[in-house]
Amino acid sequence: MTTTRYDVVVVGGGVLGTAVAERLARTSASVCLLEAEGDVGEHASKGNAGVAVSYYGGPGTLETDLINASNPFWEELCERLDVPYRRIGGLMVALSDREAERLEHTRAEAAACGVRVRILSAGEVREAEPLVTPDAVAGLSLPDEGIIDPMRLTAAFASLAAVNGAVIRLRERVEAIEHEDDGTSTVITGAGRYRARFVVNAAGVGAGAVSRMAGGDPLVTWPRKGQYVVVDRAFAGALRQIVFCTHLPDTKGINVVPTTHGSALLGPTATDVTDPDDRATDAETIARVVAEAARLVPAVAEAYAIKTFAANRPAGDEPYRLRVDAHVPNLVHVTDRSAGVSISPAAAQYTLDLLQAAGLDAVERPGAHTALPRVPRLRTAPEPERLTEVDPLYGQVVCACEHVSAAEIEAALSAPVPATSIDGVRKRTGAGYGRCQGSLCLAGISFLTAMATGCGPDAVRHTVRGTVGS
Amino acid sequence: MSRLLVVGAGPSGLGCATELARSGGHDVLLIDRVPVAGGESGWDKPEVRDLVRAATGAGVEFRLGAAAAVWTDRRLLLTAPGAIRWVEADHLFYAGGLRPATASDLNIVGERPAGVLPATVADHLLSTGVRLWKRAVVVGDGPWAPHIAERIRGAGGHVTAVGAGSPTWADQVVAGGTGLEVLGSDRVHTLRVVDGTRVRDLVCDVVILASGPLPNRNVDGALAEGAPHVTFVQPLDARGIAPRAQAGRAIAAHWARTNGGNP
Ligand SMILES: Cc1cc2nc3c(=O)[nH]c(=O)nc-3n(C[C@H](O)[C@H](O)[C@H](O)COP(=O)(O)OP(=O)(O)OC[C@H]3O[C@@H](n4cnc5c(N)ncnc54)[C@H](O)[C@@H]3O)c2cc1C
Repeated sequence: MTTTRYDVVVVGGGVLGTAVAERLARTSASVCLLEAEGDVGEHASKGNAGVAVSYYGGPGTLETDLINASNPFWEELCERLDVPYRRIGGLMVALSDREAERLEHTRAEAAACGVRVRILSAGEVREAEPLVTPDAVAGLSLPDEGIIDPMRLTAAFASLAAVNGAVIRLRERVEAIEHEDDGTSTVITGAGRYRARFVVNAAGVGAGAVSRMAGGDPLVTWPRKGQYVVVDRAFAGALRQIVFCTHLPDTKGINVVPTTHGSALLGPTATDVTDPDDRATDAETIARVVAEAARLVPAVAEAYAIKTFAANRPAGDEPYRLRVDAHVPNLVHVTDRSAGVSISPAAAQYTLDLLQAAGLDAVERPGAHTALPRVPRLRTAPEPERLTEVDPLYGQVVCACEHVSAAEIEAALSAPVPATSIDGVRKRTGAGYGRCQGSLCLAGISFLTAMATGCGPDAVRHTVRGTVGS
Repeated sequence: MSRLLVVGAGPSGLGCATELARSGGHDVLLIDRVPVAGGESGWDKPEVRDLVRAATGAGVEFRLGAAAAVWTDRRLLLTAPGAIRWVEADHLFYAGGLRPATASDLNIVGERPAGVLPATVADHLLSTGVRLWKRAVVVGDGPWAPHIAERIRGAGGHVTAVGAGSPTWADQVVAGGTGLEVLGSDRVHTLRVVDGTRVRDLVCDVVILASGPLPNRNVDGALAEGAPHVTFVQPLDARGIAPRAQAGRAIAAHWARTNGGNP
C-alpha cells in the first residue's frame, strides 16, 4: 500500500470537515479529507433543521463568538457557494406568563451576546406571524435567524475544496492513526495510508473513537437523536418566520422551521441513543412532535405531512470542541453538537488559525477559486421562461412535485463532488423531497443516476449504502 | 369564448377535454408531461386511441411532452425541453392521475433505507427486465399491487401481502395491524407489523408501497380543493380506461352546467 503525504488530513466529511477542507484548500497547504460514507454530509449535517442561528447559548463562549463571526456573512457566502439561504428571522413564542418571564431571560442573554433581539406584545406576535396561535402571550423577535440548505452547504464546501485541489476520499473509514518519529502521523483506512503533518478530527459522533486511535484526549461522544416531521409547502409557504418555542432551562423544545425548499420542519426531539446508525422514527414521538408544534402554530395539525426522519447530533461531554489535543500536538478537534452549521464558516477560519499557531506553514494561495458556478433552479428562478436559453434541459421536469429539471440533476451528477446515488441527487437538488415521495420521478432519477455512474438498473445506488436491486 | 386547460392526458383527462370541447364555445388545450396521450394506461391500447380520436374530433388541441408547474393569476407555467412559457387561460382542469400512498400517508415509521419503493417506481424498475428482488412485501391493495406481485413472482420471487385483505396474488398474506415499521440501515431487511402489543417481523429485501390510490398533486396553485379557477379531475374509484374517461366526462359536464360560460 503506498503512502500519500499531505500537510493536513481531515477526518470526517460533515459540514465542519468540509468547511475546514475548503478553507485549507485556498492556502498553500495540501489537504485530504477522508469520509467513511459514500457521500459527504450523511450524518448530522444532512438531518438538521438548517437554521443558521444568530443566538444559541450564553455570551463569552467560543461557540457564540463563532456564530457571531459567521452570521453577518451568510448572504455573501451563499451567493458564492450557490447555496439557498434566507434571513427570514425567528420568533420565539411564549404561551404562558411563566414562559413570558423566561423570554425576558432569553432576551437578556441574546442581547449580551450582541444579537439583535426585541420583546413583542401578543398583538405584535400575531402581526409578525399570523399563523402563530392566538394563545401567545408574548414573543421575542430574532431578526438575524436564517434558513439554509445544510446539505447544499456541505456539498458546496466539498466541491469548492475539490476545485481548489483538496483530495476528497469517500468510503474510507479511518481505522488507525500512528505517530512517526518526525512528528507526523499516518492515518490508515481500509484503502490507503495517508501521512499527515496535522490531523483534524471532524468525525462528529465518531470523534471520540478517532481521538482514541490517535492516543489523544479521552473525548466522550454519543448520538443524540432528533426526530422531525416535514410538512408540505402548500401550507408552509404561508409561514413568514421560524417559530421557536420558549427555551426552558432544561430543553429547547419543538419548533416550526420553514426550509429553503418551501416545506417546513416540525421538531426536533432530543433523546440519547447508543447506535449512530439508529435513525428510526417512532409513532409515539411523531404524534407528540405534531401536537407540540400545533401548540405554536395550530394549522400544522391540518398540514399534509410529507415524511418523517431522524438524525443524530454528535453529543458529548463538551457541547463543542475546537482545540489542539492536550496530548497529541498535531491533532486538532473540530466538533459541535447543536450549531455546527451555524458556526461552520468561522470555525473553518478558526481551525486554520489553530493549525498555523501549531506550526502549519500555510499562506493564502493567489488565484484560488472562491466561488462555484451557479446552477439556476427552475422552481425558484425569477424568470423561469428564460432558463432554456441557459440549457434546454431546464424544460425537462423530472421531479414534478418540486419542479426539478434534468439540467439540475445533470449538474448534481457532474459536480466536483458529485451525487452517486438517488439519495445524493435528492440531497443536492430536492428531487424526490415532495409530497409524492418520488412515486412519479424516482425511476427516472434512478435511470439518470445509473447512466452517470455506469451502473445497471439493479446496481444503481438508492442510498449511499444500498442499491436499488438486492 | 373561454380558454380551458386540461392537465393530464390519461383517460380521465381525455374524457374531460372532449366533453368540454363538445359543450361548446370553449377553446380546449390538453397537456401532458409525456409525449404521448394515455397516461398510466399506456398510449397503445385501442380504447386509448379511440379516446384520442374523439378528442381530436371534438376540436381539442394537444400539447404533449410539456409539464405544467405553476398556476397563478390564470397563467400556467408550461415546461418542455427547450421551451418554458406561460400560457393564459380561464380555468384549469387538473387530471394529473393517481399515486400510491407514501410511507407518511400510511404512518409507516422506522428507518429510511434503500429498498422502500412506491409501487409506480417498482413497476418501472421491474420493466427493465432485471431480477431485482427475492422477497417482497407489498403493502396495500391499490391498483398496482396485483401486477407488481405477478412480475416478482414470475421472476421466481416471493411476495407477502400486508394489509391487502386476502388477495390471490401473494404467497403469504398478513393483516395490516395497527402500525408498520421499517428496519434496516443499509437496505431494508424487515417490515415489522405491530398489532397492539404483538409484533410480527417480515423478512424482506424490498417493501413496495401499493396502497391507495391518492390524487397526484404537483402544480403549485392547484394543490388543494378550493384553489381558484381549478377543477380536479381525479376520480379515485373509477378503475379501467372506459370508467375513468366516463368519470372525466361527468366532471366536465357538471362544470359546464354549473359554471358554463362563466369559468
Ligand atoms: C436534529 C438536529 C437538528 C439540528 N439543528 C441544527 C440547526 O438548526 N442549526 C445548526 O447550526 N446546527 C444544527 N444541528 C447541529 C448540526 O447538524 C451539527 O452540529 C453538525 O452537522 C455537525 O457537523 P459535523 O461535521 O461535526 O458532524 P457530521 O455531519 O456528523 O459529520 C461527521 C462525519 O464524520 C464521519 N466519520 C466518523 N468517523 C469517521 C472515521 N473514523 N473515518 C472517516 N469518517 C468518519 C461521519 O461519517 C460523518 O460524515 C442539528 C443537529 C441535529 C441532529
